[in-house]
Amino acid sequence: MGMKGGGGGGGMGSACYVYPGTPATPGRVTPDVTFRRGIYMNGSMTFDDGNSVPIWGFTDLDAGQGQMDGMGGGSFPSPAIRVTEGQIVHTELTVGMMWMHTIHHHGIEPSTENDGVGHLSWDVTGGTYTYQWQPKHAGTYFYHCHTNTPLHAEMGMYGGLIVDPKPTPGDPAGTKRAFYNGPIYDAEAIWVADEIDPAFHSLPWYAGTCGGDVGLNNLNPQYFIITGVDGANSALTHPGVAVTMPLGQTLLARYICAGFHPQKIDFGGLTVSVVASDGRPLPAAWQTQAIEAHSAERYDCIIKPTSRGTWTVTVQFLHWRTGAVMGTARTRINVI
Amino acid sequence: MERRGFLKAGTAGFASLMAGTGLLSWSPRSQAATISKTYYVTAGTQTMPDGVSVYVKGFSDSAADLNVPATPIICQEGDTLSITVINRLSVTHNLVIGGLKAGDPPLASTGDIAAGGSKTLTYTIPTGKAGSYLFYDNKTSYNVLLGLHGGLAIMPAGKTDELYSGSPKFKENKQLFWIFNDIDPVLNRAVQQGTAIPTNLTPRYFTINGQTSLPPGAVGFDDPTRDAMANPMTKLEGLVGDRTLVRMLNAGMCSHAVHTHANHMEWLTDRGTVRPQVWKKDTLYLRNHLGKIDAIFPFEAPPDAYPPVTHGHFPMHLHDEMSQTAGGGMYMFGAMTEIIYK
Repeated sequence: MGMKGGGGGGGMGSACYVYPGTPATPGRVTPDVTFRRGIYMNGSMTFDDGNSVPIWGFTDLDAGQGQMDGMGGGSFPSPAIRVTEGQIVHTELTVGMMWMHTIHHHGIEPSTENDGVGHLSWDVTGGTYTYQWQPKHAGTYFYHCHTNTPLHAEMGMYGGLIVDPKPTPGDPAGTKRAFYNGPIYDAEAIWVADEIDPAFHSLPWYAGTCGGDVGLNNLNPQYFIITGVDGANSALTHPGVAVTMPLGQTLLARYICAGFHPQKIDFGGLTVSVVASDGRPLPAAWQTQAIEAHSAERYDCIIKPTSRGTWTVTVQFLHWRTGAVMGTARTRINVI
Repeated sequence: MERRGFLKAGTAGFASLMAGTGLLSWSPRSQAATISKTYYVTAGTQTMPDGVSVYVKGFSDSAADLNVPATPIICQEGDTLSITVINRLSVTHNLVIGGLKAGDPPLASTGDIAAGGSKTLTYTIPTGKAGSYLFYDNKTSYNVLLGLHGGLAIMPAGKTDELYSGSPKFKENKQLFWIFNDIDPVLNRAVQQGTAIPTNLTPRYFTINGQTSLPPGAVGFDDPTRDAMANPMTKLEGLVGDRTLVRMLNAGMCSHAVHTHANHMEWLTDRGTVRPQVWKKDTLYLRNHLGKIDAIFPFEAPPDAYPPVTHGHFPMHLHDEMSQTAGGGMYMFGAMTEIIYK
């Protein structure tokens, strides 16, 4: 079936060009795994300089996080979705009637109805829509809201999405691979590099949809973060970002460029083996010490340090027009 | 102030692009040919989605047209290009065909064309130059941003389904250009009024093949002369298996992240250089400063659908989401098109 929107285009409250809907999922079946997501619209992030900005995101309803009223806060980034290739997955999104949001599983390629693009399907409001999909390719993805995206993604409405491979025959239990029959790793890092422009973080969810200049064409970030942690200092030591691993182990660093400006990640002198990008294995691994990436690209990097020590990983955030370095975010790999 | 040939871009400007399937149509020849084309440098205004009128210039099909981008040219190695440019405006312009690879000198140039004058560029294409090219005006650093640009596709001699000899194949006659531009009206106004050219630009409009997307409910929605989601020169439309070559050219000032839903793209070239291996990517980094990428959209059934599907509507949009706006707001009125599985 083909669709072009839900007949929207008029205003809903103060919003325009939104396409509300919570229909039944076509061809719905019993899933192998379900993720139940609500939203939060009143979170915050505090930076190393003491300033903070409002943050929006998705909650894990099964973990008792938040309700459909969107009040309160939640984790940032939003709770990860982790599945195994071949599973039938349900992502239930529940949104109160005051807002509209979707979930687009970026890099996952489902049917139109389950792709989470409002103007080609619907924006979820006043109920629940269940996105049904079956990932066929292991790798690194992320999910984000696709309603008024320049604002909603900047506000923090994203989370990691990891598709693990089916077990490779003969592997001992617990073996972790980047993809089917791909490289084995021991430790894992998920580095979601993003930039924050506080000017965006005071806008309502529908800002600009009915016209008027609310500045969504001009992102001037002041803060630079890795996986929800300020990259100025905190990410150097934050246990959810910095890596500490014994010599001899192999690290899989999943780098997600979640900002809107291009980035360059430098591994501090370590040579990494890039084995996959955007959820697809590369035909041959790429050896490099730095990667230039743009918004929404992902690179899976195998790192095998050959000595003990500390390496500082630096992400430069480059202005999309001038190429100037607007700021940096740093973390560390500590090999003990 | 340039007053001659002051035109209004719109339906007329794109009418010449609408013939046939909308895709670049190509039949190979055993003999080389001379490909003749005349462009008129014209100027006028283009109305942006928020109603703002912006001064633009184009390499147009007639003195009465305003084409942004120019009508594309497709030819093959061995052909001789004969491009005549008639300058209808009151300042000097030129037309250069950019080099194949980043850092290469231009393939050819008309040289300066004085106000009211004309020049003809003649260039015989040697073997090894198959690929995608932007032709543009480099008389100033900013003329390309005003709209003076277009796409040139050089096919390998005798081939119908390869970007370069031996490249991964696409389906015959399934190829098109995505030419991106970023517009800061402050620049366009300064050119129009002859005032100092600003250097610190902040683009407010973002186009693909000279148009923005228009979402359902918007005036002009689904009108191929206005809506980049509906323009057959821009949208990807096909059946499963209709592998389509997309020649992406960046005429604008910003780098972009080109993101397709429904399928990963097969990434063939970056800035004119053939990639050592073909990577499958859902997002490609298109550089500014005349960056370009060639990729094949494979039109495979969306792999992660359950139940499986072979039909559907999906977007291609830039993931640097500032580019999805117009005038500082209006999400979905930016550089986006549609991918349609018929």
